[in-house]
Amino acid sequence: MDSENDIFQMIATTLRDLENSNKMKQLINNAILRGVSAVEIIEKGLRRGLELIGQKYEAGEYFLSELLYAGSIMNDAIEILRPYLEHEKIIKKGIIVLGTVRGDIHDIGKNIFKMFAEAAGFEVHDLGVDVDPNAFVKALKETGAKILAMSALLTTTILEMKTVIEHLKQAGIRSNVKVLLGGNAVTKEFAKEIGADAAALDAVEGIEICKKWVEEK
Amino acid sequence: MMTPRERIKATIHFRKADRLPWYESIPPATLVNWIRQGLPADKITKIEWTMFMGDGCILLPDDKFSDFAPTEYFGIDNILSLRVPLDLGPLPRFKMRIILETDRYIEMIAETGVIARRLKEAYLYNMPMYVSFPVKDRKSWNEYKVRLNPKDSRRYPKDWHKDSYIEIFENYQAGSTVLFITGFYGFGAQLMGIPTFNLMFYKDPELIYDMVSHWEYFTIETIRDAVETLKDRIDLVFWWEDLASRHGPNISPKLYRKFLLPSYKRVTNFLKKNKIDRIMMDSDGNTMAILDLAIEAGITGHWPLEVDSGMDARIIRKKYGNKLFLVGNIDKRAVVKGGKVMMEEVESKISVLKETGGYIPGIDHIVPPECTLERFKEYAEYVKKQLLFDS
Repeated sequence: MDSENDIFQMIATTLRDLENSNKMKQLINNAILRGVSAVEIIEKGLRRGLELIGQKYEAGEYFLSELLYAGSIMNDAIEILRPYLEHEKIIKKGIIVLGTVRGDIHDIGKNIFKMFAEAAGFEVHDLGVDVDPNAFVKALKETGAKILAMSALLTTTILEMKTVIEHLKQAGIRSNVKVLLGGNAVTKEFAKEIGADAAALDAVEGIEICKKWVEEK
Repeated sequence: MMTPRERIKATIHFRKADRLPWYESIPPATLVNWIRQGLPADKITKIEWTMFMGDGCILLPDDKFSDFAPTEYFGIDNILSLRVPLDLGPLPRFKMRIILETDRYIEMIAETGVIARRLKEAYLYNMPMYVSFPVKDRKSWNEYKVRLNPKDSRRYPKDWHKDSYIEIFENYQAGSTVLFITGFYGFGAQLMGIPTFNLMFYKDPELIYDMVSHWEYFTIETIRDAVETLKDRIDLVFWWEDLASRHGPNISPKLYRKFLLPSYKRVTNFLKKNKIDRIMMDSDGNTMAILDLAIEAGITGHWPLEVDSGMDARIIRKKYGNKLFLVGNIDKRAVVKGGKVMMEEVESKISVLKETGGYIPGIDHIVPPECTLERFKEYAEYVKKQLLFDS
């Protein structure tokens, strides 16, 4: 009989190899029948699988289609586990406030980041698009989030990110919050220039940065 | 001295021209800024002459403002000048209507069936957010497909008299003549939205096969008459695709080979059989991982080669030689900065690619609105000097 570690490994590689949902469903059901904790299935199996997906994406073996499909398999798996999660508590990695800045109404990149951040164990408060700087400040205060992830697609709207950072300073919370920038118009130089903590060139890199920040604490 | 058309044609076929052509795509947002900054609007005004009928008894020539066209004013060579007048959109069109309006937004059903939200404020500087797409699954695709009938007579203009069009396309010299085609990735992403479309390659591959098969049939049969009539009087095919981001292509080479390549080959073979072999892929982002396949598919040119996505025309030229003519690749950020940074960027690209041929310099995508008129003039003056060949 397979050990629990073997089961987690199989779940992780099934996700990594983008095998169909039926195989994943079977693996998860078998694990539950054996009394494996749903939380552990997520944390040691599915999240590990997601890390492997991220590695393949960074290595240029996987592309957007593969990321989205992995996210879809992961969501289906979590749906199977949901009834069992009522009795177990998942420890959240951290809280992220997320949004596209004022004047910009693009959300594809933001939504992909959200999907992967949640799958990686973060609690995400998505404020949507065209978000007023004060709304970011309010959400950070209310949720106690230590990470603000902002997105902007356009070169005409990225300066709004600087305005948001100014608002954080005025509200006296800048030093408590790590600021991550994303979106097509953003560069690492720009992040440095406006006093953000980091810029991510894609969702996978963004999640890795957030995980690193949480681990550093 | 060559005409703009002769110059562009010579260059994209890797023949020597009197100088390099120069191409820029200037969006309305940038033009409006420039007019505010002193660009004389009357010098870039495009006028259409019509006949004005007053009271039914007089017939006077009337000038009607139709657009701003800064190409001639700056001495830009227009590579997308005379278009083959085909309608490759859904027919009948969806009825446009506003479904929501607030102080800040306007949300509407567009003619393609997409529901788009726009910011009212500074709408010129923004692109819409797509709220929903007309194709979501097999059922909605089957419904949509009915609108993509190549035999619909509205696809060609009412005045489609072949001999007249042959004469126009034969004699035109102000720029190159062009046929616009939407590649299958662009087609699917427009109908379903990028996330859903990308996901369907895994979740419902049969749907993707059906879509690509219909795209191929629809494209070939719609363009057939124009292509077989005009043949190589069409200088260039503009193959809109937009299949990549900064990280790389949205779909893997594996999916490209499996789903796109066979149909792409059949469409480009049809074009080539009719002596049209300059087919330029328009895709932002980093396309390096699929360039081998794009060439195998029949693509022979590429625009805009965005520098901040890691594209470098010199590397592409070295790797692919004359298999691809290249357009763009001047880093927009360097042009915005101006001065020495701009000059070094322009010089570093043109000095190398002028020698190899098959290169049309230009900013690597649209001229961004933050590029001031002063900066653009400085860039234009400098780039034009670099276009000349040593005598």
